[in-house]
Parts: sequence; C-alpha cells; structure tokens
Amino acid sequence: MTMTSLQETDVLSSVQPITVHVITIGRLASEACAVNMSPWKVCVPGERLCSTEVCKAGSGTYIRHSFIFASLAGYVVKKNEGEELPVISVARETEAQLLPDVNAIVTCKVTSINSRFAKVHILYVGSTPLKNKFRGTIRKEDVRATEKDKVEIYKCFRPGDIVLAKVISLGDVQSNYLLTTAENELGVVVAHSEAGVQMVPISWCEMQCPRTHAKEFRKVARVQPEYLMP
Amino acid sequence: YLHVALLFWQQVILCHCTLDDLRVDGRSCEDYRYVEVETDVVSNTSGSARVKLGHTDILVGIKAEIGRPKLDRPNKGCLEFFVDCSANATPEFEGRGGEELGTEIANALYRVYDNERSVDLKSLCITPMEHCWILYTDVLLLQCDGNLFDAISLAIKAALLTPSKIPKVQMMEDEEGTTEIELSDDPFDCVRLNTENVPCIVTLCKIGQRHVVDATLQEKACSVASLLVSVTSKGTITCVRKIGGGSLDPESIYEMIETGKRVGKALHAPLQDILNKEESLGKSREKVGFIG
Amino acid sequence: MAGIELLSDQGYRVDGRKPNELRKIQARMGVFSQADGSAYIEQGNTKALAVVYGPHEIRGSRSKSQHDRAIINCQYSMATFSTGERKRRPHGDRKSSEMTLHLKQTFEAAILTQLYPRSQIDIYVQILQADGGNYSACVNAATLAVVDAGIPLRDYVCACSAGFVEDTPLVDLSHLEESAGGTQLSLAVLPKAEHLALIEMDSRLHQDHLESMMDAATQACKDLYAVLDRVVRDHLQEVTTSIGE
Repeated sequence: MTMTSLQETDVLSSVQPITVHVITIGRLASEACAVNMSPWKVCVPGERLCSTEVCKAGSGTYIRHSFIFASLAGYVVKKNEGEELPVISVARETEAQLLPDVNAIVTCKVTSINSRFAKVHILYVGSTPLKNKFRGTIRKEDVRATEKDKVEIYKCFRPGDIVLAKVISLGDVQSNYLLTTAENELGVVVAHSEAGVQMVPISWCEMQCPRTHAKEFRKVARVQPEYLMP
Repeated sequence: YLHVALLFWQQVILCHCTLDDLRVDGRSCEDYRYVEVETDVVSNTSGSARVKLGHTDILVGIKAEIGRPKLDRPNKGCLEFFVDCSANATPEFEGRGGEELGTEIANALYRVYDNERSVDLKSLCITPMEHCWILYTDVLLLQCDGNLFDAISLAIKAALLTPSKIPKVQMMEDEEGTTEIELSDDPFDCVRLNTENVPCIVTLCKIGQRHVVDATLQEKACSVASLLVSVTSKGTITCVRKIGGGSLDPESIYEMIETGKRVGKALHAPLQDILNKEESLGKSREKVGFIG
Repeated sequence: MAGIELLSDQGYRVDGRKPNELRKIQARMGVFSQADGSAYIEQGNTKALAVVYGPHEIRGSRSKSQHDRAIINCQYSMATFSTGERKRRPHGDRKSSEMTLHLKQTFEAAILTQLYPRSQIDIYVQILQADGGNYSACVNAATLAVVDAGIPLRDYVCACSAGFVEDTPLVDLSHLEESAGGTQLSLAVLPKAEHLALIEMDSRLHQDHLESMMDAATQACKDLYAVLDRVVRDHLQEVTTSIGE
C-alpha cells in the first residue's frame, strides 16, 4: 500500500472520536436486558401505549387526545429519568434515516467554492453516516466569529477538504442547509496540499504540508488534544 | 448506469487482487455469484422467470400474441423486447429516468435473440405473410447490483425453456372469405419452442491486466471496459459487443472471448438441470416467489 | 352483466367465496436489501411490490419543498405482462397518474411528515399481476414497506374494494367481478383511529345501500388489518432472532 492510502485510513478514524458517540440500539437493548430482565414488548404503528399522565412521549411516538401512540414498529423502551415522568419511546433494531437538524454537528466535504460561499456535501450527522448526501452551504459571514467581513473563502476552504460544521438553518426554497464554522472547534479537519499530501495544522488559520513545507491558509478546527491519534 | 465512487486506494487493492485470481468477496475471476432461478412466477403469461444474481433481481414475462410477420421475414415469427427499469431499483429511474438504460439493453437483446440462429422462429409462423406468433418479452428490473445482461439472458432462457403455453392455431376461411382463428380444444396441445440454441450472455470486465466474470458495481467502477459475449450450449459464439468507455487491445479481446466461451458453455447445463427438476415436480412444486 | 352470475343462489361468488370473505393474503417485508423499506403482498391472484426510499434530500427543484414537512412522492406502475392483455406502457398513462395521486393523498394522511421538514419520501409501487383490487394491494404493500423503512406512521392504512350485487355487498372484488359492471367502492381506512383516508366510488348506487356497503368494506379493512399486523409482528420476531438479543 502506498503512503496515501495509509493516511486516508488515519483520516477516517481520526474524524470519528471528535463527535459524540451514539450507543446503537442493539447494545442498548442488551444492556437494558442485563439490568432488568423484563421481556420486550413489541408494538406496531397506531398502537396505544399509555396516557400522557403516566409517561412522557419520546422518539417513535406521537400524542393524540392525551394518549401516547406508537408510530414505529419495534420495541417499547421505558426510561426513568429521576423525578420526572419516565420517557416512553419505540426502538428499532436498525436506525431509521437521520436528517441533519438545527444545531447538529455535521461532518461535510467541500465540493466547490466561490467568493461568497462554499458548497458542501453533508456526509455524517454526529457520528452516523448518511445513506444519501445532503447539500449544504457555508456563507462567507458564517465562517468565522470575528472579522466577518474580511474573510476570503479561498483562504479558509478548498474543494476536497473535510469540515466540521454546525447546522444553523434547514434552508428555504432557494437555498440548501446553512452551516456555520464560527466556533473554535469547527472548521477544516483534513485537507490535502497542492502536492496531494495531507497537511498538518500549525495554527488556527494555517496548515503545513509535511513534504514540501509549504504553508496554506485554512480555517482550522481546534481538535481537543485527547481526541488526536498518538 | 449506477455509479459507485471508489477511493483511489480501494481501486488499487481491487486491481492487485484480480492479478492473483482473488476478488474482494473471495470468488475467483471466473466464478459467478449465487444464482436463484424460478419459473412460472406470473400466471398471466405464456412463460415467466425470476432470476436473482447476488442482489440483482430480474423478472421476465413472455406473452404470445398473434400478429403480422415482418415484411422481410414473411414466414417467421418474431420476438419483441421491452425493458422496464423500474423505480424500485433506484429513485433515479422514476418517470422517464430509466428509459435510456432500458433502450440500450433492449437493443442489445434484439441483436442477440431476434434471429433465426438463436430461436427457431419458423415454428412461430401460422400463415406465411398473414399471421404469426409474436413473443412479447418484457423484462422488469427490480434491483441493480451489476451484471444486468447475464441475469437478463438467464431469465429469458429460463422463460423460453419452460413449456410455453402457446396453443396450436389453425386459420379457417369461412363463407364470407374472412379468416377466423381456431384454437385447438386440447389445452395441452401447445407449440413447444425449440430452444436448444438459445444463447446465454456473459459479460467480462477488464480490470487492470485481468478480466473478471460477473462483476459487481464496485468492480465495474474500476474496470476499463466490458465485453459482452453471447454463447450457446454448444459453445458457439453468436454475438460480441464491447460496452463501456475505455479502449481494449486486440490481445485481451481474444482472451476475453475465450474465457467467455468457456464460462458460457458451462452455464447452460446447470440451468437446464434446474428447469428439468422444476418441470418434473410439476404441479406439486412449491412456488417460492417473493415469499420466503 | 354478460350472463355471469356473480352471486349464486346459495350465496357463493364465482370463486367460491362468501360475500364478505377476503381472498387469501400472503405478504412479506424486507424483500429488497438495497431500498430503505420494501414489501410484497399477494391478495388472491393480485401481486404487488412496494419500495420506499427516504427520507432524503429533495431531488430536482427545491421549489417543491415544504418548510415544515416532508413531501411524499409516489409512482404507480404496472408491469407490461401483468394484465391479461399486454399493456404498452408501464406508467405515464392517465390511469397510473390517477392511482399515483390517490396513493399520495392516502399516505400524506398517515405518515407523520412534520418530523422531516424539507425532505422527500419516495414510495414506488409495482403491480406484477393484476386480478382486481389493484389499488388496495398497492396501499397494503406500501404500508408494510413504510413500516419496514422505519418511517413513523400515525396508523396502518388498510384498503379494500367493495361492490354491490343483488342487495348484498361483496368485498375484495376480483377482476371478473370488477369488469362485470356495477358499483365499485374503494376504501382506505386507518383502522385504530377508524378514520377514512380515501373513499372513491364509481357508478350509480341507491343511497340506502351506501351504508351497508361502507360497513362491509370497513369490516373487511379491519380483517385485513389483523393479517397485516400478524405479518409485521412475525417480521419483527424474525429480525430479532436473527440479530440475537
């Protein structure tokens, strides 16, 4: 294998630890089973679970006439959260398609740039990969928190970069998902230099190519030290 | 058609592996994936078959109707093909999205099957220049996972091989001079097509220096070009066609044709076995279809 | 009425069923692995396949998108070998467009679209063999496919057709009974809530008979619901045993 391929695998594994891990339903089920050995109750869409006085509605349920009904076919999960009412939700063995929601941290790949914005493809929501690509836009004024009007997109992103961003809006009829990188932890995570080698970040606005030692401008994400690969 | 994007390093691994006759899923370069064939799936037809090759799912239905023979072939019947790329396979095929792929496949099928050497068209003639049987062969693509031509040809052969319910017909002239069609009363008095020359199509994809049979979508994404070879059970080649954007040198074309001949000849015998077994079970056969 | 007796003196129909008896139903979920959800249903001799993709980003122009809900995109298509006489075009003709619209309306009532703003859910239905009750088979197959895809539903949607012969309502009409003329009612019901998602009736009917026909059709839908429920529960059982709890 060539150097390039080794580094690509590094990239993919280094991206994941930054985002929050979601425990998969399978493990949740087995953990809960180990804790309380009650048999799992199967439910189908439209089945009445309980009234709103006994529980709160969680995911996979809906409320009608002060009763909680299931909206998915799966297993009923009841979670106690302290003094509040327990939350009742329906879990499936395979997660249904997740959509990027407002304030979700997403991992995306830059596809094209111009002087006003950068167009990206959203690949991961949190740490769940998406089956279909969603398109997003990072506007010039959403790249940085400070000195918003002095931003040059060419010096922040290039096509092919992997970027961590946050969703600020689902967009309207004309535009796609609007994303922002105006935080220290958001920005470019992986970028390749013009020589084709993966670059190393040296400051919040620069990255350096290890082979040619050329510096290039990017809006770099500050990765927490404990998430970096040794 | 369906494009799979592979990272550069994945393509490199794939090409290196084929050099050692080992593919990503453990097959050798001349192995097919697991194939399931079932006939008589749809009852409104004269013959039908369903083929599952890996994840590729094809349903073929043949309806026989009486029509006029073509002008240049007055004493032969003919086959008409229609390929429907349904939206089941991918949302891009919705509406008219699948028409392009459908026409491409249909044209290739016309070249391979609609001639005297593949199917005995003379037996489909009723009255020369007036009436003949037209076999409308409709192909329905339910899922695409590479290697469509092979699966379609297996399904067409299976559908043609099953005792097609084409009744024996006689044209009677009554007093006013109008012709009437008289079907024989015996429901088992059918025209059985002579299908020993019906070919099977083998698609070979050139990856790196070697070529592979039954490529998945990923392997097709790494290949330069593909060659379509249609082979009969005796090993005769009836049609060769190159598809895809790259270019092939003559040496590899000869090699690929040889491999195609070998593999194609070996395809017919197992298919015939399965169909004979199905026929021998007759009515007592448990139809699986999509259930189970 | 071409001289075929749709209802015999003993009260049996052409295929031996009682007037309120449904045809034999067999169904399976998860038929295709590449789609998000898929299902296959056989109602007598009518075979229908449904496939669901989504929710995903809106394809084509974004002007169709709704800011607070998902849009449902359907396509109804009949295989060219599905009918007795070969069909020239699988979809795109008027009947298919009408069916597509009906399917869309039915599922907009049942799917909780507010959970997926600015996205699209595709439902594609294919009829492999048509022997009457095409619309009902499509709706039932599509319900199973949507449940298989994990898209939240308010309730199942069960559909059934009904007719009226000699003062008796007949349910689940076959092709023979449909083409004999006479009234035809198509009903799509959300069984638990007892709401109607779609009701369509052709031909003339005396007002007095309407209620009995609707009651018969609603009861048939409830029976259908029991069958579909069984299929879903069996499928859940099957999937969990294969994963291994």
